[in-house]
Amino acid sequence: MSDTTSVRQTPSAAGSGLPGGIFGEGTPTFLTTKVDFVVNWARRNSLWPMPFGTACCAIEMMASAASNNDLARFGMERMSFSPRQADVLICAGRVPYKLAPVLRRIWDQMPQPKWAVSMGACASSGGVFDAYSMVQGIDTIIPVDVYVPGCPPRPEALIYGLIMIQEKIRGETLGQHARNRAEDPAAVGRPRADAAEVEALSHPFGNSTNQNRASGLVPGIPTVRPGDRIP
Amino acid sequence: MSMEGGSGYKDVPGPAEETGALVSMPSGLERAHATVPVLKERFEDAFLRHEVVAGDEHVVFVARDRLYEVLQWLKTDPDHAYNFLSDVTAVDYGGGRPIQMVYQLYSIPHRRVLRVKAEVPLSDLEVDSVVPLWSAANWLEREVYDMFGVRFRNHPDLRRILMPEVYAEGHPLRKDFPLRGRFSRAEQTRRALAQAPEDYYIPSDFGPGRDFQVVGWQEVGGEPVPVKEGSAQERKASPPPASGSPPDPTRS
Repeated sequence: MSDTTSVRQTPSAAGSGLPGGIFGEGTPTFLTTKVDFVVNWARRNSLWPMPFGTACCAIEMMASAASNNDLARFGMERMSFSPRQADVLICAGRVPYKLAPVLRRIWDQMPQPKWAVSMGACASSGGVFDAYSMVQGIDTIIPVDVYVPGCPPRPEALIYGLIMIQEKIRGETLGQHARNRAEDPAAVGRPRADAAEVEALSHPFGNSTNQNRASGLVPGIPTVRPGDRIP
Repeated sequence: MSMEGGSGYKDVPGPAEETGALVSMPSGLERAHATVPVLKERFEDAFLRHEVVAGDEHVVFVARDRLYEVLQWLKTDPDHAYNFLSDVTAVDYGGGRPIQMVYQLYSIPHRRVLRVKAEVPLSDLEVDSVVPLWSAANWLEREVYDMFGVRFRNHPDLRRILMPEVYAEGHPLRKDFPLRGRFSRAEQTRRALAQAPEDYYIPSDFGPGRDFQVVGWQEVGGEPVPVKEGSAQERKASPPPASGSPPDPTRS
């Protein structure tokens, strides 16, 4: 046995004269794959959530991290209570205007790549709190990737939303990273939506999908539009 | 269930006809409360009316400009000694009617509850602060100021407490306040994000520098009571007696 061959062979393959890899005797000691696949695989299986829990949705978020539902099975191994080490912002609960700069600040502090989940009706659209004090959907403040409906959503729903984030990561490529993930320094601390979009999202019954139907409370918006079908 | 000859109240006899109160109330019902008759006799002109709601909750309406005087007497008189302020709040009934200030008092030595109300007209929303009497009123009065716009004279730190300090849309719990606020949603969002959250949580909020300072103590009804700052009793006030105060459980 010479020194030069034993260096390149695993102990099990030593002496056979053939190279041995991780799959056994005779298999290669290297893999070929795409960089995108490896990077996305690593990213989507180690998503660390930043919990931004403000209300009852946060109770369900805690339940989804507890043993029965166990977010860690899907790679959300550790709730990161520092935005500097987080990948996913989970906004669970209603956000009043007084808290809006805090939410925006935490989002700005998270490093790229980062994603956001809007959990529950209040975070997504203001919910029943169509009042003076409440942000009508956090998508006016920060960009949101996944909306989880419910009041509050069950833990399964939140986990499904996070799996949707994983599916979204699966489709990303590093070639578009600079375009998709670049941050405009001028946008830091500013609302994501411009004034017209905030108004559109904040109409009664308006929500993240920008429907503005049928309340009759806002002058100028007809209660029934020609295309509406009334049962 | 027989009602003849009675007032409908099970434990308080008396006719229910001669009443102008909100509820059907027999005359002489104030005798059911140990403080109300004394208060009525002592503050003849400040005592406006007396009601009993929800069966046994006694409510006393006093004149707005004598409010501090009445509350000070209620706290310091040893026979009543309402030394615990449960709540300070306000009610706006709308329609231009005056805002009612509500003080919920409890006397720990006598185990007695009393609710004191004062009507404050919308044209002049100002009352005396009761922070010199009960330190607990500090944040409660800030909340009333924030939500209703009632200003408190001699309050040590009258700022908004719930809404942002730069909030410019008014006082949200007033009946004339629109539900969604006065500004557009875009303007509300812009103003919300324009503020720095550090401004609310400065360390001086929790330090001793801005708190109300109790300057002296006085023996009233067997227990130490703080003396109002700048009062005539300040000079002869003594520090709290070491023997009379309850032992500190953290000391041993």
